[in-house]
Amino acid sequence: MNTLITTLFLGTTRGAVFALVALGLVLVWRGAGIVNFAQMGQAMFSTYVASTLIIKGYGYWFAFLIALVVGAILGAIVDLAVMRPLTRRSHAGILASESMRATVPVIASLGILGVLQSLAGMIWAAEERGFPTPVSDVAVKAFGKTAPFTKFDLFIIVVVALTLVVTTLFFKKTGMGLAMRATALNPEVARLSGIRISRVRTLSWAISGVASSLAGLLITPSANLSPNTLDLILIVGFTAAVVGGLDSLPGSVVGGFILGLLIAVINVYVSPDDVFLALLVFLLLVLILKPGGLFASKKVRNV
Amino acid sequence: MSSHKNPGARNLFFVIIFAIVIFTLGAVLDPYNQGQLAVVSMLLIGVLSVTLLTGTSGQISLGQGALMAVGGYASALTILNLGLSMWLALAIAIIVSAMAGLLLGFAAARLTGPYLAGTTLVLALALPSLANRFESVFGGDVGLNVDFGNPPSWLISAFGEIGYEQWQLYATVPLTCLALLATANILSSRTGRMWRAIRDNESAASLMGVNVSTNKIFTFVVSSGFAGLSGALYGLRGIVGPSVYPISLSLLLLTGAILGGLRSIAGALIGSALVVFLPDFIDWATKPLALSEQIGNYLPGLIGGLLLLVTVVLNPGGISGALRRHK
Repeated sequence: MNTLITTLFLGTTRGAVFALVALGLVLVWRGAGIVNFAQMGQAMFSTYVASTLIIKGYGYWFAFLIALVVGAILGAIVDLAVMRPLTRRSHAGILASESMRATVPVIASLGILGVLQSLAGMIWAAEERGFPTPVSDVAVKAFGKTAPFTKFDLFIIVVVALTLVVTTLFFKKTGMGLAMRATALNPEVARLSGIRISRVRTLSWAISGVASSLAGLLITPSANLSPNTLDLILIVGFTAAVVGGLDSLPGSVVGGFILGLLIAVINVYVSPDDVFLALLVFLLLVLILKPGGLFASKKVRNV
Repeated sequence: MSSHKNPGARNLFFVIIFAIVIFTLGAVLDPYNQGQLAVVSMLLIGVLSVTLLTGTSGQISLGQGALMAVGGYASALTILNLGLSMWLALAIAIIVSAMAGLLLGFAAARLTGPYLAGTTLVLALALPSLANRFESVFGGDVGLNVDFGNPPSWLISAFGEIGYEQWQLYATVPLTCLALLATANILSSRTGRMWRAIRDNESAASLMGVNVSTNKIFTFVVSSGFAGLSGALYGLRGIVGPSVYPISLSLLLLTGAILGGLRSIAGALIGSALVVFLPDFIDWATKPLALSEQIGNYLPGLIGGLLLLVTVVLNPGGISGALRRHK
């Protein structure tokens, strides 16, 4: 029973982070029609910046904020320097064919990932680093009993919940949020109604950069920081996003929590070695049985 | 041009030239570069699998490295457990990985673009964990030891003493030639035209009577067979294990195919030579700068990534595409 509760808590905190990663992927997918495989490379880079600031003696919160800003800037740079020029040329040469327009941005994002990881390796060396937590990460004690979670777990849940609330308000209540929703729904109509969709796209990349950097900052204390550590998180986030339907923001969040719980259960009750096999089986099942995600609306979509 | 009338003869001609050039280079190079050239010939087969899958039929796979691993394990297990010869083991590797490609193809035919990329990436991560799951069969993290063996005596009596690296090269090149010939013939055949039609516009292709999903699955089978052969040869250099077929191997094949030119055999050739020799070249070119080890280790990755980005943004046809444009 105790193991089950611990597993559920672990699954929930991890799931919260996966939800952020999936959210970042879905933001870019809706905004630009691209799955950004470099996303956690960007997050790794901004987490390294935060880690360096902390080692230099700056406070956690200062480093935290700077990392989010770096995440936003990196996201915008990726769009402005690579993705926007790529989509501009999308009717020339090799990009003229339907399938390559979907494929080439994936390859470009892998190139960005390679560049970011190599740069991080050059600047910060390959040795793994720890990363501090802003609050205690030993189990909370109350009424003489040890609770199955730590203050840092609570911190993660609170930060992710706040992020989701802010994101929801942004999309529902602000003009820019409305513009982003319109662009995701139909870029042509959005353009005709006066929305500058290339700016909206860049903003999607920047917000996605913030979300994934936040995920990087929250997950790194439980795994060491190295140029490659966050790759696996991306895979889990991708699966979560597909489970949620890839173009639904709430779906991606639910997908994140589902994946968190699934992985925690596999880790505890089966074997950590089998996590990726389970992930593959789950992903294939979802894609074959419910290709539009578990919460697909009636709209039929070509996967 | 008469060559267009008979593509089969033209293909054979170019492959014979390729074989002569490689055999000659193999005779004059030092053992290290013989080994590197052997790796080029092995990876060329893998890059051709990308040329067929992504360049011709428009499906992306980030799991070609995993299919190489399937071929590697199939050949290693055949050699170690059944005691069969290397050549039979290579044939079995092709068959087993083609069957794996059939399974993958059934799932993949329903997916496009990023979905396919993500799923094959998960596959590439999941498959190596089987090596630990069934450690007694697959040898866990350590892997299985196999090698090319000794060159046959008739080869030694014909060419004199042959080093191990040279033998790797000479054993690989005939198979690479077969792969080149097969690819060239597929590309200029009806099948190749159907695959290109699917790549360019699925709906139009299916209206023209091309069975899209059957052809997509068939592409996966052929491409996986290629990847399996490439992986089996790659493993025969010494070890078949998870560390020999990392995710980065899939990305290396893709990088080679893109840099050289995704749509042509010449591109695959240029690309595989580039990804193998680029690190050596960077090492040689930066020697006077006396870079620290930390920077030197990551420089090839950085330059490779930047080349990939520059290629997809400015010159998506790759080197061979650019050469063709300027002809």
